[in-house]
Amino acid sequence: MLRVAIPERANWKRKAEEFGFKFHTMHGEAYWDESAYYQFSLEQIEQDLEAPTEDIHQMCLAVVDKVVNSQELLEKFQIPQAFWQQISDSWKKQDPSLYSRLDFAYHGKGPAKLYENNADTPTSLYESGFWQWLWLEEQVNAGKIPKQADQFNSLQEKLVNRLAVIAKHYDISQMHFACCQDTDEDRGTVQYLQDCAKESGLNNDFVFIEDIGLAECGSFSDLQDNKIQTLFKLYPWEFMQREEFGQSIQSAQVNWLEPIWKSILSNKALMPMLWKLFPNHPNLLPAYFEDELSKATETKLVKKPIFSREGANISVIEDGKTVLHADGPYGEEGFIYQAYYALPQFGNNHTLIGSWLVNDQAAGISVREDSSAITQDGSRYLPHIIL
Amino acid sequence: MQSNKTKRSKSINLTSMRKSFSVKPLALGVAAIFLSACGDKQDAAVFTSVNDCTDANPEFAEKCKTAYADALKEAQRTGPKYNSQRDCESEFGNNQCNVVRNESGSFFMPLMAGYMLSNLMSPRGYYSQPMFTSFSRNSSYRNRWIGADGSDFGDNRRRTMRVSEKSLKPKPTVSKTMSRGGFGSSVRAKSSWGSSTKKGGWGG
Repeated sequence: MLRVAIPERANWKRKAEEFGFKFHTMHGEAYWDESAYYQFSLEQIEQDLEAPTEDIHQMCLAVVDKVVNSQELLEKFQIPQAFWQQISDSWKKQDPSLYSRLDFAYHGKGPAKLYENNADTPTSLYESGFWQWLWLEEQVNAGKIPKQADQFNSLQEKLVNRLAVIAKHYDISQMHFACCQDTDEDRGTVQYLQDCAKESGLNNDFVFIEDIGLAECGSFSDLQDNKIQTLFKLYPWEFMQREEFGQSIQSAQVNWLEPIWKSILSNKALMPMLWKLFPNHPNLLPAYFEDELSKATETKLVKKPIFSREGANISVIEDGKTVLHADGPYGEEGFIYQAYYALPQFGNNHTLIGSWLVNDQAAGISVREDSSAITQDGSRYLPHIIL
Repeated sequence: MQSNKTKRSKSINLTSMRKSFSVKPLALGVAAIFLSACGDKQDAAVFTSVNDCTDANPEFAEKCKTAYADALKEAQRTGPKYNSQRDCESEFGNNQCNVVRNESGSFFMPLMAGYMLSNLMSPRGYYSQPMFTSFSRNSSYRNRWIGADGSDFGDNRRRTMRVSEKSLKPKPTVSKTMSRGGFGSSVRAKSSWGSSTKKGGWGG
């Protein structure tokens, strides 16, 4: 695992314009950064990232199976009681899932350590599945990267195939896609999935989360009053369950992507549950619920809210004192604690690996750098190669 | 382990990923889509000519003919209109456009490639609408069935599909939605929290 400097493609910003990649620079700061790339060996990819990603996914499913059958655990996961039955039904029916991203701290050797599972609303999908693919293609054609270089990135191919499988499962030929207003990044991510859906032969329609309507028959509707039959929503289940239309979710009879059973995976309570079910697994970090903190033997811990996004409200605690803290609006549902494990540093950059799953198959990685040890929304995205 | 095998998507159709090449038509028809909020879909078929329709429905030869004429009229009224032949052809392909003159001026419009028919046998009357397709390599409409308003009805090798009544009716949709805005309040609450959220997105 190396960080290698490389000249940027001279015309990449024009290309970004052409392909509709609008969020490569956000608030005046670079997000897409092609002044360097990360190089992995095939062994590093296959043994240290690909295989553990698929294993951990199976372990996560074992957690879901345990939690849906336990009131006590559903409470610990802060899932409102009104949704217990729906989650359990959705799990028992095996409602199909689309994708997830596992975040790892990986140093190029030794086991990659799981930080968290973004199982419900992962972003950086377009940059991973398409834009870094195009970057490699063009840098190889320009002779800047050896011809035999590969990339761990079958995301687009797998997403297109998976969407076709899901369409067949639900016997549908059209899907709705939704995200919140005023964010180019989320809109870009959803547009990418619409492109993948089109590629797999599905018609697709877009509606903003805020514009979703409730029809008199109990269905959700888009702005043209069309029924929402199947909805990919880049919007967290834990929000939806607590909002006004939450009580209509059951009667609206939507085929959800992600399915509602993923409420259990996109939840930091997953981390202590994994550690309980699979103690000392090499890819896991010790993790504890708040009420069992006394069991922790580690002197340095990371405190994470049960629900949070983009590194918000995370603190690093050493010998009981907070040594690093990221602000944010989360935390009212409680916290979990995870053993501190540092990200590798390349120069001043702290590097985090996102490892993608399409359903249960490992589908590629994304690399993000931050100047802080807590990867937040100001981090940069760098491409990678396998050589 | 999957050694000796590429680990990335084998090929990606770059044309379909482009977003900014196509010139927007001057005019698009009224938004028409499928599946009304509380209704069901129905079967529809696309025919490329009157003969194509009559071959499949010999007992309805007359209806095939009038439905075709209706669709042609509708195509002129609601189909995409361009100022220049070049813009039209870059979206629909060489020799796929002709000049149309009406009271609001003269335009270039794609040729109707087929027509969609539904309820041909219903005593209540059939629905028809024009279909377009593109032969241009640069167009996202290439080899798709496209309605007058730009809605995509899928691969143009497909001849039958399930659509809603609404997509077949030219008139605007009737509102049955009772309320909106029941999702999204958490974002408003958390966005107003402070300035550290740079992007404002809610993905992770």
